[in-house]
Amino acid sequence: MSTDVIVTQHLSKTYGRPPLQVHALRETDLSIKRGDYIAIIGPSGSGKSTLMNLLGCLDKPSTGKIFIDGKDVSTLNEKELARIRREKIGFIFQKYNLIPTLNALENVELSMGFAGMDAQTRTKRAKKLLELVELAKRLTHKPAEMSGGEQQRVAIARALANNPSIILADEPTGNVDSKSGDNIMRILEEVNARGETIIVVTHNMTIAQRARRVLRIQDGVVSEEHV
Amino acid sequence: MFRDHVKLAIKNLRHRLSRSLLTLLGIAIGIMAIISLMALGEGMQQAVTGELSSLSDVIIVSTGGNIYSAFMGGSTSEYFTQRDIAYVQRLQGVRDVSTQLAGTGVAEYNGKSTLVSLTGMDVNVMRLQYATQTFEAGGFLNEGDQNKILIGYGIAHNTFDADVKVGDRIKINGEKFFVNGIFGEQGMGGTSSDTIMLMSSRDFQKLTGQSNISLIYLRVYNVNDAESIATAIQNQINANHGKKDFATATTMTSILKTVQSIIGILQLVLVAIASIALVVASIGIMNTMLTSVMERTREIGIMKAIGATNTDIMSIFIIEGMLVSGIGGVIGILLGVFGSQGLTLILNSFMRMGGSSSLTPIITIMSVLLAVLVSLIVGVLSSLYPAWKAARMSPIEAVRYE
Repeated sequence: MSTDVIVTQHLSKTYGRPPLQVHALRETDLSIKRGDYIAIIGPSGSGKSTLMNLLGCLDKPSTGKIFIDGKDVSTLNEKELARIRREKIGFIFQKYNLIPTLNALENVELSMGFAGMDAQTRTKRAKKLLELVELAKRLTHKPAEMSGGEQQRVAIARALANNPSIILADEPTGNVDSKSGDNIMRILEEVNARGETIIVVTHNMTIAQRARRVLRIQDGVVSEEHV
Repeated sequence: MFRDHVKLAIKNLRHRLSRSLLTLLGIAIGIMAIISLMALGEGMQQAVTGELSSLSDVIIVSTGGNIYSAFMGGSTSEYFTQRDIAYVQRLQGVRDVSTQLAGTGVAEYNGKSTLVSLTGMDVNVMRLQYATQTFEAGGFLNEGDQNKILIGYGIAHNTFDADVKVGDRIKINGEKFFVNGIFGEQGMGGTSSDTIMLMSSRDFQKLTGQSNISLIYLRVYNVNDAESIATAIQNQINANHGKKDFATATTMTSILKTVQSIIGILQLVLVAIASIALVVASIGIMNTMLTSVMERTREIGIMKAIGATNTDIMSIFIIEGMLVSGIGGVIGILLGVFGSQGLTLILNSFMRMGGSSSLTPIITIMSVLLAVLVSLIVGVLSSLYPAWKAARMSPIEAVRYE
């Protein structure tokens, strides 16, 4: 299993109790190779978010198992899950979700702080990451002082901060114009080229087609899409 | 780690500056109230202690259950005998002894006669016993004065048809006496000096032909012996009279203790009242923080999504609460220092009318430390629930589509 960064076994998520039970995700078996570039597509309400939350350890499965780097995370407690999120997963959200009171540098440093990295190393690394996303000149800008595309690039730098095993990007270009969107995808692809596993959730087929592998989700069922 | 939490907390507080300042003001006022009322209580304590401890070598032996009954006029039918006095005078360690005589007489002024109680005592004892008494007019008798009296406020104003003034003549049992001084109204619940008619022991004996000793007033050489001497006197005099509770010998130290404990209770009441302000302030913190938690739902979710633990979140919020109340506490202490001065000015202007010595507020290190401690505890307690609520929030909130 050493090459598979994510493996799920009979992964299901249901909300509510019968008879009003909603099956958001049904019996999903997935393996995702390290360094892969994957797009998950599907209409809204199809279960995309549920899968994303489960893979990102934000939510616990109803049944089934998830292995991240070979470790079963479906039985972990809150504190251990926080550790997995901190060390193994980098999130990129549609609405950037930067902390409004912190500037670009501080936003990138935040998760390294939670990981207990010392201030000096942290600042050095954050600067390097912001350079990578072409924001070396925006270090002390607050989110409100930056464009959508710039904020999303700060978010990419933040996602990379603790050197995660997986980058989970949820509609990363959903809130920016097409030029900025293209730029963001190019940066994500560069990151992928350096060996990072990338999972992009989108309903934009143009974005999805750039991925190496596309998964379609419909009514909680995941299937391989051949494009 | 901790430093990061502090930095985040400070950033959050500054982001909502006016709200933070208002919350902080609440705590500052609460702490100010506590500090200034404690300073006032301490000042009161010290003022009374200072006054009474100058008399710490004094023992007062009275008839009846306690010393206060003697001060209240002491109308017991049985008095001390010369045998009692002789015993006290012979006792080792006793420096000097004087007595207070009690009796009644008919006083006449401006054509009206009335029955009054008379008190005779040595002139120097008079000065000691009424050391804290204010005068409406005139002053104490001097050694060697004859046919002069001191009268209480009530005798001067409420007993005869006309007000008595210093220098006026009052006939007592047909003998003329000049009013040398009139005491100020005692007020504050006490009336013992309002109905008094004081004269020297010599005049008293000459006038009444009696020597009914209602009070023995003695001083000891060594303050440390006061308690044991008092006990010895009490036992012997009780034995002389064949009764168990005829006499009570009270040292000033024990009076001091009683007064101090009364003031202690008063201080406690003051602080309890001030604490109400603090409780209100802490509810203020809780309210502000709960609002803040609701507003920052998304932010908390993001922090959890990127790896913050519940402990991280809790600690950020608790530090916020502690910062608000800690800074508020320090400001409150400073305000309290000034506030207590102002409060004392107001109180002193009232007290001067009532006729007591003035107060100085005393701020002890203890009260400052207590204020700091209390404000930090308030900070932790009032942010505990909001912090717990924040920590429990689901990180899914952060990624929810809107």
